[in-house]
Amino acid sequence: MEPSAASGFLTAFASDAVEFEDFDAVVRLHWPAVFRFTLASVRDRDVAATLTQDCFLHAWRGWGRFRGDSTVKTWIMRIAVNLVRDHSRDRRLQFWKRVAAQALDIQTAGERLADERISTEARILREERVRAVWNVSASLPEKQRTAFLLRFVEDMQLLEIAAAMGVKEGTVKVHLFRAVQAVRERLGGAQ
Amino acid sequence: MSEHLSSRGISEWASGTRPPEVENHLHECAECREELTRLHGALSDFRDSLRSWGAAEGAPPQPMWRTENAQGAHRLRWALAAMVLVLLAAIPVYLARDRPRPGGTSAEDAVLLEQIDANVSRTVPATMEPLTSLVSWSSTNPAAATAKSLTKR
Repeated sequence: MEPSAASGFLTAFASDAVEFEDFDAVVRLHWPAVFRFTLASVRDRDVAATLTQDCFLHAWRGWGRFRGDSTVKTWIMRIAVNLVRDHSRDRRLQFWKRVAAQALDIQTAGERLADERISTEARILREERVRAVWNVSASLPEKQRTAFLLRFVEDMQLLEIAAAMGVKEGTVKVHLFRAVQAVRERLGGAQ
Repeated sequence: MSEHLSSRGISEWASGTRPPEVENHLHECAECREELTRLHGALSDFRDSLRSWGAAEGAPPQPMWRTENAQGAHRLRWALAAMVLVLLAAIPVYLARDRPRPGGTSAEDAVLLEQIDANVSRTVPATMEPLTSLVSWSSTNPAAATAKSLTKR
């Protein structure tokens, strides 16, 4: 028996519902990573929230075309990387970016490391180190910062980072090396 | 490898480039290991701080993709409602198309037909009727008029 138009409609409706559920799960899983990445990149929570929303809106529109050539995380992070890059290159926003750069209080970044087991001195030292890394990451060129954040915050592999940035693995290694050198110089380890 | 790792070697190792000779050296050299541990400690503190920051402020809002889809469904729903209204309005017009009109209108039709008959039965058009009064003799008996004019000659 051939399926009727009504049953076809119901099947399509059911598959839409399944797709919704799938995508909701994707959002729940990857939203924090995208928000972290955008927050550390643009250093403004409002802009980061907007970029994260845009990222998932783009992902939703392209969800039907996702063929699983990479992991979902890599695919979504690639969208986020492109959005952050476009945002950074938008010269019309340069002034607002300068203002917004002060919006995120990096001084409080280290205070978010709540660990009551360590001494006050150790905690202060830790907070200083965190602030130093935050400041270094802010001063890095865009591609170095992107590679640095994806590697050391999101724990992505080199090949995944390469796919997310749309560059070769060797290029990622170079960006990472320079970023790590900059961090070590700030921390006093590199000579 | 007896000497310590170079600054470049340590940065390369931390970046993910891990040759076996460097790995062997790290097993033997506590100083280089400590240097790397310090670096990894700073990086993982940075990661933890960013993760806790993101977790505190980055809760997913109302999903926009559903809103977008809902807006599409909303528009479709309005279009369907408008179509139904147009159909409902068209049905009575369609049904009344062939129905005979009530008796009141047949009297009007009879008057109209009489007027048409009257116009059709005119000998001359209405605009020429004043002229016919001027030459009414010729129109009543044209043969007599002709005879009269001949006798006068």
